[in-house]
Amino acid sequence: MKKLFTFAVLLVFATGIAWAQNEKYTQAMGDGIKALNSIDREKPDPKSLVDIANRFERIAAAEPKEWLPKYYAAYANVLLGFVAPTLSEKDQYLDKANVLLKDAEGIAGKPNDEIEVLKAYQSQIHLAADPMNRWQADGEKFQGFLQSAKALNADNPRIYYLEGSSLFFTPEEYGGGKKVAKPTLEKAQQKFNAFKPASGIHPDWGKMETEWMLSQTN
Amino acid sequence: MKLFYCLLLFVSPAVFAQKTIQGKVTDHKGNALPGANVFLKGTYDGGTTDANGAFAFQTSESDTATIVASYVGFEAFEKKISLKESMPAMSIKLDELANELNTVVITAGAFEASDEKRMAMLKPLDIVTTAGAAADITGAMQFLPGAQRVGEQEGLFVRGGSGQETKIVIDGMIVQNPFFSSLPDVQSRGRFNPFMFKGTSFSTGGYSAQYGQALSSVLLLNTTDKISNNGLGISLNLANAGLNYDYANKNQSVSAVVYYGNLRPLFKLVKQNVEWLHAPEFKGSSLTYRWKPTKNGILKVYGMYSDSHLSMNSNDPFSDSGKTRLVLKNNNAFTTSTYTDSWADGRWTINSGLSYSRNKDNMTYDGVNFDRFDERTQARIVLTRLLTGNNTILFGAEAHAINIGNGVDGKMYRLKDRYTAAFVESEIYITRALAGRIGVRSEYSSVISRANVAPRLSFAYKTGRYSQVSLAAGQFYQNPDYRYLYLNKSLKYERADHLILNYQIIKNQRTFRVETFYKNYAQLVREFTGQPYDADPYRFPWGTTTNGGDGYARGFDFFWRDQKSIKNLDYWVTYSFVDSKRLFQQFAQSATPTFISNHNISLITKKWFEKAKTNLSATYAFTSGRPYYNPNNEEFLKDRTPAVHNVSIQASKLQSIKGNLVIFYATVDNILNTRNVFTYRYTPDGQTRFAVGPQSYRSFFVGMQIMLSKKAKVEKDDF
Repeated sequence: MKKLFTFAVLLVFATGIAWAQNEKYTQAMGDGIKALNSIDREKPDPKSLVDIANRFERIAAAEPKEWLPKYYAAYANVLLGFVAPTLSEKDQYLDKANVLLKDAEGIAGKPNDEIEVLKAYQSQIHLAADPMNRWQADGEKFQGFLQSAKALNADNPRIYYLEGSSLFFTPEEYGGGKKVAKPTLEKAQQKFNAFKPASGIHPDWGKMETEWMLSQTN
Repeated sequence: MKLFYCLLLFVSPAVFAQKTIQGKVTDHKGNALPGANVFLKGTYDGGTTDANGAFAFQTSESDTATIVASYVGFEAFEKKISLKESMPAMSIKLDELANELNTVVITAGAFEASDEKRMAMLKPLDIVTTAGAAADITGAMQFLPGAQRVGEQEGLFVRGGSGQETKIVIDGMIVQNPFFSSLPDVQSRGRFNPFMFKGTSFSTGGYSAQYGQALSSVLLLNTTDKISNNGLGISLNLANAGLNYDYANKNQSVSAVVYYGNLRPLFKLVKQNVEWLHAPEFKGSSLTYRWKPTKNGILKVYGMYSDSHLSMNSNDPFSDSGKTRLVLKNNNAFTTSTYTDSWADGRWTINSGLSYSRNKDNMTYDGVNFDRFDERTQARIVLTRLLTGNNTILFGAEAHAINIGNGVDGKMYRLKDRYTAAFVESEIYITRALAGRIGVRSEYSSVISRANVAPRLSFAYKTGRYSQVSLAAGQFYQNPDYRYLYLNKSLKYERADHLILNYQIIKNQRTFRVETFYKNYAQLVREFTGQPYDADPYRFPWGTTTNGGDGYARGFDFFWRDQKSIKNLDYWVTYSFVDSKRLFQQFAQSATPTFISNHNISLITKKWFEKAKTNLSATYAFTSGRPYYNPNNEEFLKDRTPAVHNVSIQASKLQSIKGNLVIFYATVDNILNTRNVFTYRYTPDGQTRFAVGPQSYRSFFVGMQIMLSKKAKVEKDDF
C-alpha cells in the first residue's frame, strides 16, 4: 500500500513537472511573440530584433524537440535581413535564418507549410537586398517554396500574402504593381479571416501587412 | 508525506535567490561584440550584449551551469561555471569562424564572374550588359586585364600568347570548336549563349593542374544547375529569330532552343567592308536536360547542332585580281554530359563527364576544295576529398580521342591523337591568412609519343581584412599546332613557364587589383623553308621543323572597379602592358609577333536609370599598334600599325507588355566611325599594301527578347 502511494505521488509529481515545464515554454514563447508583435513596423529597431532572435534561440537550445522556437528565431533573422544597413550584414542574418530553418525542418520531421512559407520569405528578402543580381535565382526559389507550401496547405494565408507583396513591390514594367497585386491580396485577406492558428504560439503573422497593402491599392 | 512537501519545496523556484551573471563579450582583439547571445545551457535564462558588448541577466539555477555565448560568424563559446551569490564579471572572448572576409582565397591569375562567390569581381550579368562585347562571352573577356585585342582573328590572346594558347572549358570538358568557323581576316563569334552559364573564371596564367594543353590561359565556364524561367521565350533581332522553351518540375528540367539566322538584312543596313556573295546564314538547335537523382547529385546533358553557309570575296594580295572567292559550309555538333555528386557530409565530391564533338567545314578557296574535319571524344573524372580545416585534395584523370583531317582537292591528310592525363592537387590552409595550392599534372600524347610532367604552385597571403597578395608559378605544355604534325611527328611539346605576383583589395563595392608576370616560352616549333619570310596567314607549313624556338612575355596589368561612389553608376578601367619577343614559326630572328599590342586600355561604364528601367553602357577600348611584316623593311617586323580606338554604346530596356516581360536592346559599335586598321598585307612583289580592318566601321544592332513565361505559368485556381 505504502509503495503504491509513493508511486502515485511520484507519478503526480513527474507529470506536475512536465506540465510546469510546458507552461513555462508556452509562457516564454508567448512573451517572445508579444515582443515581436510590438516591434514598430514602420521603423523596426535592429537591436530589439536581435534581442528577440536571441530569446527564441535560447528557448530553442533548451527545448531541442520544439520546432517553433527555431522558426521564430529564423523569422526574426529574416526581418533583420531586411533592416540591416549593409549587404554583407543582411546576408549574414539571412544565412543564419537559413541554418535555423534547416534545423526547424529537421525537428518538425515532416514537410511543413509554415516552414516553406518562411523559406519563401527568406528568398524574397534575399532578393530585395541585391535585386539586379539576384532576381533570377531568388525569384525562382521564392516561387518554388510557395508552390510546395501550397501543396501542403493551400489555405495558409501567408502564401497569398507573400505572393501579393511580391507583386505589390514589383514595378509595373516587370508585370507587378498595386493594381495587379490587389486580387491576390484580397485572396490573402479571405484566407486570413478563415485562418485559425493551431495554438497561441503557432505562426500568425502577415494579416496587418496585408491589410495595409490593400488599403494602398484603392 | 513530509518527504513529499519537502520535495515540492525543493523544486519550487521561488525559494532560490536570483543570481546575477554579468560580463563582456569581445573578439580576440578585444573589440566589443554587440548583439551576442549569452545564456545558460538548457535554461531560458540569458541576455543580449549591448553596444559595448556587456551583458547581465538573472538566473535561479543553482550549483553549476554551462554558460554559452554565440554570435553570428563566431565559434560558440561554452564553459562550466559554478553559481554563487555574488559573481565576478566574466570576460568572454570569441573566435571568428572561417568566412570569405577572413580567409584567404587563391586568386593569382584568375578572374571570376560569379553570383555565388562574394569575392568575385564580376557578375554573370556583366557579360551581357557590356557595350562592345556584343553579348559574346569571349567578346567580354577581351576587356579584362591581361587580354590583348586582335581584331581580325577569333580567340583569346592572353599576356603575349596566341589565340591557340587559350582553351575554353565547359564544366571541365574542353570545347573543340568554341567559335564559329574561322574566316580570313574576320573575327568569328563564340558559339555559346552567355545565359547558359552561372559562372565564368578567366585565368590569365598559373592555372590549376586540373587543366592542360594551353600555354597561356583557360576560360572555365560552368553551366547553370536550374532554369530560371518556365515557359516560352522569343528572341528577334536584325540577324536572327529564335524560340526557347523551358520546363521544370521538382527534380528535372528541360530547355530547348531553335534558331534561324541570316545576316542579309543587317548587311543591307550597315555598310560592309567585305564583299559578301552569300551573307552568313545559319540555323541551329540545342537541348539541355538536368536531373537531380539524389540530394546533392546532378546530371546535365547538353547537345547542340548547328550549320552555316556563307560565301565572300576576300582580299587576297597573293592573287592577281587581289580577290579570292571563298565558300564555306559548316556542320557542328557538340554533346556533353556531366554528373556531379557528393557524399559523407560533403567530404567526398565527384565530378565526371563524357563529351563528343564533331565539326566539318566544306570550304572552296579560289576554286580549290579545302575540307576540314575534326572530332573529339573525351572522358573525365575528378574526386575531391575535403579534409579538416578546409584543406582539400583532389585526384583526376582524363582521356581524349582526337581525329583531325585536312583535305586538299579531294585528298585527305589525317591525324590521330590519343591523349591522356592524370593530375593531383591539394589546397592547404596553413593558417586562415596563408594558403597554398600544390599540384602536378602528367600527360601523354600518342601522336608525338611523348609524356610530360608539369608542376603547378600557388600561394596566397591575406595582408588585411580586404586585401591579399598571391603568387603563382607553374609549367604548361601544349602539343604543337597539328598542321606541323602532318609532316613531322617527332616534335616535342611546346612549353611555357609562368610566374605571377598579384595584389588585390576589395572593399565596399570597390575593387583594385594589380598583377605582374613573367612568362618563359621554350621548345617552340621553328620552321625552315630556305626561302624569304612568307606572310600569308593561310599558307601550309611545308618546311622542316624543330623545337628550337623560344621566347618570353613580361608585363603587368591593373583593374579598378567602382560601384559605390555614384549611385546606379558602375565603371571599371583596365590597363594591360605586355612586352614579348619570340623566335618561332618562320622567324629567322627573335621578334615581337604580329598578335602583340603593348598597351591595351578599356573603360567600361554602366548606368541604370530606375525610372526608365533602362541600362545604358558605354565602352572605350584602346589597343596600341601591332607589328606587321613589311618586305621592304630590312628589319624584320619593325613596322607598327596605327592604334585601334573604339567607342561603343549599348542600351537595354525592360518593359512589361500585357504581362509579358520584354527586353529591348540596341547597340552602336564604333560610334566615331574610326577607320581602324588591324594589320597590313603586301602583294608578293612588295609594291602594294592592303589594309585589313573590321568587317564594318560604325555599325548598329537592335533586337528584343520576349519572355512569355510568367503568363504561361499563372493557373486559373490561383485566384
